[in-house]
Amino acid sequence: MLLSFIVSGLGVGAVYALSGVGLVVLYRATGVLNFAFGATGALGAFCAHTVATAGYPVVAAWMTALVVATASSYFYGRVIAPSLSTRDLVVRAVGTLGFALILLGFIGWAWGDTPRRLSLPTDGIYFDLFGTRLTMTRILALALVFGMVAGINFMLSRTRLGLEMRSLADNRGLSAILGIRVVSVEASAWIISGISAGICGVLLANLVRLQGLQLTFLVIPAIAAAILGGLSSLVATAAAGVAIGIVEACLSIWPAVAPYRTATPFVVALIAVAVMGATANRRILTR
Amino acid sequence: MSVVELVAPPGESLVVQRPSLARFWNLILIPTLVIGSACIVALGANGYWISSLTSAAAIALAASGAGLLYGQLGLVSLCQYSLLGVGGWVALRLGFAFELAFEVNLLAAGLVSAGVGLLCGLPALRLRGLYLALVTLMLAGGFQVVINACGFPDGGPGFLGRADATPRIMMARPAIALSNQGYFIYSSVVLSLGLMIVELHRRTKPGRAWALIRAGETTALAAGVNLVRYKAWAFSLAGFLAGVAGALLAGNVGQLDGRAFPASESLSLFALTVVGGVYNWIGAVFTGLLLRAVVSLLTDLRVDGNIAMALFGAALLHSLIVAPSGIAGLIVGLFDRISSRIVNRQP
Repeated sequence: MLLSFIVSGLGVGAVYALSGVGLVVLYRATGVLNFAFGATGALGAFCAHTVATAGYPVVAAWMTALVVATASSYFYGRVIAPSLSTRDLVVRAVGTLGFALILLGFIGWAWGDTPRRLSLPTDGIYFDLFGTRLTMTRILALALVFGMVAGINFMLSRTRLGLEMRSLADNRGLSAILGIRVVSVEASAWIISGISAGICGVLLANLVRLQGLQLTFLVIPAIAAAILGGLSSLVATAAAGVAIGIVEACLSIWPAVAPYRTATPFVVALIAVAVMGATANRRILTR
Repeated sequence: MSVVELVAPPGESLVVQRPSLARFWNLILIPTLVIGSACIVALGANGYWISSLTSAAAIALAASGAGLLYGQLGLVSLCQYSLLGVGGWVALRLGFAFELAFEVNLLAAGLVSAGVGLLCGLPALRLRGLYLALVTLMLAGGFQVVINACGFPDGGPGFLGRADATPRIMMARPAIALSNQGYFIYSSVVLSLGLMIVELHRRTKPGRAWALIRAGETTALAAGVNLVRYKAWAFSLAGFLAGVAGALLAGNVGQLDGRAFPASESLSLFALTVVGGVYNWIGAVFTGLLLRAVVSLLTDLRVDGNIAMALFGAALLHSLIVAPSGIAGLIVGLFDRISSRIVNRQP
């Protein structure tokens, strides 16, 4: 019984993990905590839904989601974020909140509030694991998490771009003096974050449902995972994301707490912030 | 802003100007303008607009709390609308349970929300930066889930007070303001009282302490400011104002709907607080008007409410980048320029 809930929580947990990783990469390189992460993913997923219902192949829908989410993330990072880059962390984060509201309003206007669902061909392929269907979509989500974490870790530790991102995280002013093109390195961080937002948007639209607000607030469990990872460790962030998904799924066992189980990410994040505040990690969010 | 200004013209000794009573000028201006314009509007507007403007007054009261935290302390509180919901819940629950005077419910709602606001602020008492923004965002999200699951009291039995089978009861308005117009003016009186409390704080000792904390916590500590006490006071005051606003909102319709309190509403409220302007009391009034009256106007014009949300987001970005003092700053700046031109023209 419990095992089957764990299995069903794996898929959503993988999405939380992937979005947490997207947030952390961006935060490390640019110092922006992107509240618009979920909204960019939602925009991508809605475009994908439109493309898929118009009769185009699924691959085209996937690509649309990725391109739209990445483009909107790049747009913010290249056009709007630089004019706030010298301000406090809080102001930079609040700026993305403005972008999230714009996207959310646009999505509501263009597609309405009716919840939809994005079906993927991988839904039809499944295995039986502990009496639960483990669909190919969930396996794909988990595989993507492993792939992204490994890929980004490799990029950060072994490539020139990764080195430049790490030096930006360390000291923006000094990096600029050393000749690092700050704006273009930051733009690549926004692109990586946009790609993961696109993937998460499509997966969540398939696993839960396609609704603007729902997908926008994907950013909450992502932030919870990112904070548990200390906003620096990708592996810890990914593990925390999967764990939050599993805890959320398992809470539906008890009827007394089941209506409140969607509050799990909020509670976890609250505890994470409180714990972080009480420990030596507190400098992370005030740098 | 320093209260004692040091002025030393060349060749003269240092003159210390004592702060004059003119700094309390706003305490007269606020009730005159707010209640005065409410009375004029109440004479002419129809029922739909009176109701919208009453909610706008309540929202303005809540916005003055969020503006206080952001303008005076640089703290981002994203759960102000949820605190308003908490106040509304308390007012409705007490209203149905004890049939007390409306003012008692108003105060009780304010006090409970002040307590909740203080609890939200606790993690930020020792920390700065993004902490409060994150904590309050989580609380706003959590409140949305909880209020959707348990709903607002509507005269039913039990602690939650939900009437599933029995008919829903409306909360009574104050005896002196039973009509829509009367309740609108009543709300504007409460709003101006709230704005005056905030203004009084900004002009006296707490305002100076908050300004020092904003300048740097080490500076504030060195100047002998009790950091914990003044930060806690700011959180409680912001919560109190939101709670009273929630009670006003509950009294407007007599009911509240749990679905009307999504976390995105808290985000919009914060965005518009910045857009309205956080350094002047007029800013809060603009926030209320933007969030309620402008949306009503757009509905009148058959513009989608989602477009309003997108506009709010764009306005927030514009304020952050170009006009940090918001609409209020623009208007006060314009007023100052005109009045200085008039003064300079005189021989």
